[in-house]
Amino acid sequence: MFNIDFNGEFAAFSILSAVMIIGAVFMVSLQKVVHMVISMAAVFLGLAGMFVLLDAEFVAFVQVLIYAGAVSILMIFGIMMTNHQNKQADPVKPLHETLSAIAALCLFGMLFYAIRTTDFPDAQPLEGVQNNTFSIGELLYTGYVVPFELLSVLLTVAFIGAIAIAKKGED
Amino acid sequence: MDSFTQTAWLIPLFPFAAFLLLTALGRGYRRAGVMIGSIGSLLALIMSLLVLFERLDPNAVDYSNSYKWIDLGDYTLKVGFEVTNLNALMLVIVTAVSFLVNVYSAGYMKKDERITVFYGYVALFTFAMLGLVLSDNMLVFYIFWELVGVCSFLLVGFWYARPAARAAAKKAFIVTRIGDAGLLLGIIVLFWYMPGHALDFSSIHNVFNEGQSGAITMTITTSIALLLFMGVIGKSGQFPLHVWLPDAMEGPTPISALIHAATMVAAGVFLLARTFDIFEASAAAMHTVAYFGGFTAIFAATVALAQNDIKRILAYSTISQLGYMVMAMGLGSMTGGMFHLFTHAFFKALLFLAAGSVIHAVHTQNIHEMGGLGSKMRITAWTFGIGALSLSGIPPFSGFWSKDAILGTALDEDPFLFAIGLAAAFCTVLYMSRLFFIVFTGKSRVRQPNEVRESGLAMAIPMVVLAVLSVVAGFVETPWNGWLGNWLTGGGEEVHANGFAIVASIAVGVLGIYVGWLMYGRAYREQSPAAARMPWLVQLLERQYYVNEFYNVVIVGTVRWIGKLLHAFDEHVIGGAVRLVGFTAVAGGRVMTRLNNGQTQTYGLTAVIGLVVIIAAIVGRRFW
Amino acid sequence: MLPSYLTMAAILFCIGLYGALVKRNAVIVLLSIELMLNAVNLNLVAFSKYGVVPSLTGQVFALFTITVAAAEAAVGVAILIALFRARGTVHVDEFDEMRR
Repeated sequence: MFNIDFNGEFAAFSILSAVMIIGAVFMVSLQKVVHMVISMAAVFLGLAGMFVLLDAEFVAFVQVLIYAGAVSILMIFGIMMTNHQNKQADPVKPLHETLSAIAALCLFGMLFYAIRTTDFPDAQPLEGVQNNTFSIGELLYTGYVVPFELLSVLLTVAFIGAIAIAKKGED
Repeated sequence: MDSFTQTAWLIPLFPFAAFLLLTALGRGYRRAGVMIGSIGSLLALIMSLLVLFERLDPNAVDYSNSYKWIDLGDYTLKVGFEVTNLNALMLVIVTAVSFLVNVYSAGYMKKDERITVFYGYVALFTFAMLGLVLSDNMLVFYIFWELVGVCSFLLVGFWYARPAARAAAKKAFIVTRIGDAGLLLGIIVLFWYMPGHALDFSSIHNVFNEGQSGAITMTITTSIALLLFMGVIGKSGQFPLHVWLPDAMEGPTPISALIHAATMVAAGVFLLARTFDIFEASAAAMHTVAYFGGFTAIFAATVALAQNDIKRILAYSTISQLGYMVMAMGLGSMTGGMFHLFTHAFFKALLFLAAGSVIHAVHTQNIHEMGGLGSKMRITAWTFGIGALSLSGIPPFSGFWSKDAILGTALDEDPFLFAIGLAAAFCTVLYMSRLFFIVFTGKSRVRQPNEVRESGLAMAIPMVVLAVLSVVAGFVETPWNGWLGNWLTGGGEEVHANGFAIVASIAVGVLGIYVGWLMYGRAYREQSPAAARMPWLVQLLERQYYVNEFYNVVIVGTVRWIGKLLHAFDEHVIGGAVRLVGFTAVAGGRVMTRLNNGQTQTYGLTAVIGLVVIIAAIVGRRFW
Repeated sequence: MLPSYLTMAAILFCIGLYGALVKRNAVIVLLSIELMLNAVNLNLVAFSKYGVVPSLTGQVFALFTITVAAAEAAVGVAILIALFRARGTVHVDEFDEMRR
């Protein structure tokens, strides 16, 4: 249905997408929170693989570092720090869940319809990119230097803020 | 020299000012209220008499003056007044009766706590009636026509605490409205077809006068005339819309005398006289009018034979006499109609006032609970007797001359109607003698005989004045002297002097009195021997030919049914829709309350659903 | 190849959306949001290779997104810890302060 000749990229894509979808589905359907985070890590790693397929080695590297590493660990810490009691049964909200599923499916249907009906022109190969990391670094420090610096400020503020919030109260 | 005529527009303003003053003063000033009302109508009477004296000059020309009211493009609506001999005569009739009734009411209504309101209404009515008389075009005429209807409504329902009075007021208003709708339609049709959309009476006269009637086709003329006649039927209590008039007797008796005997009910006849040219232009309309009138005359006269309420007898008598007037108009004798209107106004007002005096004394309206009042109430008995004789058409009282003028015309024009008129005259004499003998002679059957005494001066004087007028008013037009006819119509009408009619009418009168004396005069009986033999006939007459019952079943029933249907529609369809809207709102509110549960995920879900819907709406447009 | 990547991103996004709407544990909700952000990243990078005008800008944007997402995750977890300390739970449906 996708009218794509079976090549190496497609094979890799298929495997990776299978991994990611399974991981994502596990993430929303598993019972134990730790399992959820682990399946989420699988999704993050699969996504890194996809970035590699898309010739974005640096982004893939960052993805592995930040998501599969930092964020997953952060989440596990968050779970550990918040999950040490309540084993009470979850009150089920079937209407809410059904509606959410329908809404998500509808949205997906629309997106899928849009993707299928849009006529994407063939892409020219990306020129002049030999070293992905080098090129990105060049771009960040030339064209995007102001957003980059702003982002660094944001990160600093966010981490200081996170520490301030999570810290035990003074009293 | 026409100075009074030119200021005739002032006449209605006196009672109107009285009305405003009375309304402003409120209920506190009882004596002042009586004075204001009486003075207002007295001034109007004096002005009217001055105008009338000016009109008596044979060289007097009709005077009319109008003011621009509304400009509608090329068309200008005018409001104005007109003084002709006819109007002048009506002015005097209205103001005279109105003034006398004002004086009379000072005695009759003395103990009523709303006497000031009463005088206010009477003043308003007098204003409206005078405006109606003076108006120079159909539209203004119609406005005042409705205004007198409103006053009649207010005054019939004056004692609104009584359910019967309320019902009667509503009935009077609604039933006359049926006729008024016809009148309005007639005016509209007239407006449509008149050259230049002129509605003033002089243009109507010019257009419909003989020789120029080509401007409007015969069919249209007939339909206009018949539509106008519908108004007459409603207002003048002609069959089949007569049912309101007997019920209107729930109002105070002076009102019955003023509105429902002398003036307002005569407005229909006056309308006939004002638009006489239209009727004359259509033979079919004239015949209709004549036969309606004749039928009403005999119909109401027979009903009056069997009634037991003194005022109802007089009410049916009024209907019958109005029938006479309408019949005279239909026979082409405007003089006869107006003449009878003129004399009838006096003697019928007199009869009502005398009846009021009786009711005032014995506190009942049932004639079988009266009897023998003649010895205790001499003035009332004498004046009532004069009125009764006048109504019965006994010479030389005024009723004789006017009735004779009508019967003479009828004999010349349509012998069948003459016969009907004669029969009605016989019934008239019979019921009047029955009334008189039962009430004023024989033994007293009054519950509290000691309390019966003659009414005070305020009530007696108007009765005496009216009695004098009833005697002398007839001499303005006699078979050998057609002065009134000449004066009213400018000599255009022949005098129907017919020896046979005179003899027949006198004979019928005398015979009627004799039979009445035989049946009721010699000794009081609850029921005459003739009636005892025909109980079904008495029953039929007593129930007024079951017209009310018929209307109740056929018209009221139908309307009720339609009303129920519409109500059901309103209740279930429209009301259902309204309830559905309300229910939807409430249900929507409930859902919204459920949604607004403070939980972020619910809000998120709502937002996503909204997003999906918006996208669907935008994308979906592609598909249609 | 581009539609495949876009479809993949859409799947991830919708699963993330479902998770964010349904899961009771706030940490998992945060994770689901990360998943949605990742789907966006996939789109950005896919367009940077297969778009009409391929360029590295998409990758740079993906980097920015990752950075912001990291900051968001950090602050989010910090807030959750503070919340847990205050209310003893991180179940999303037990917070209905917005009702008042």
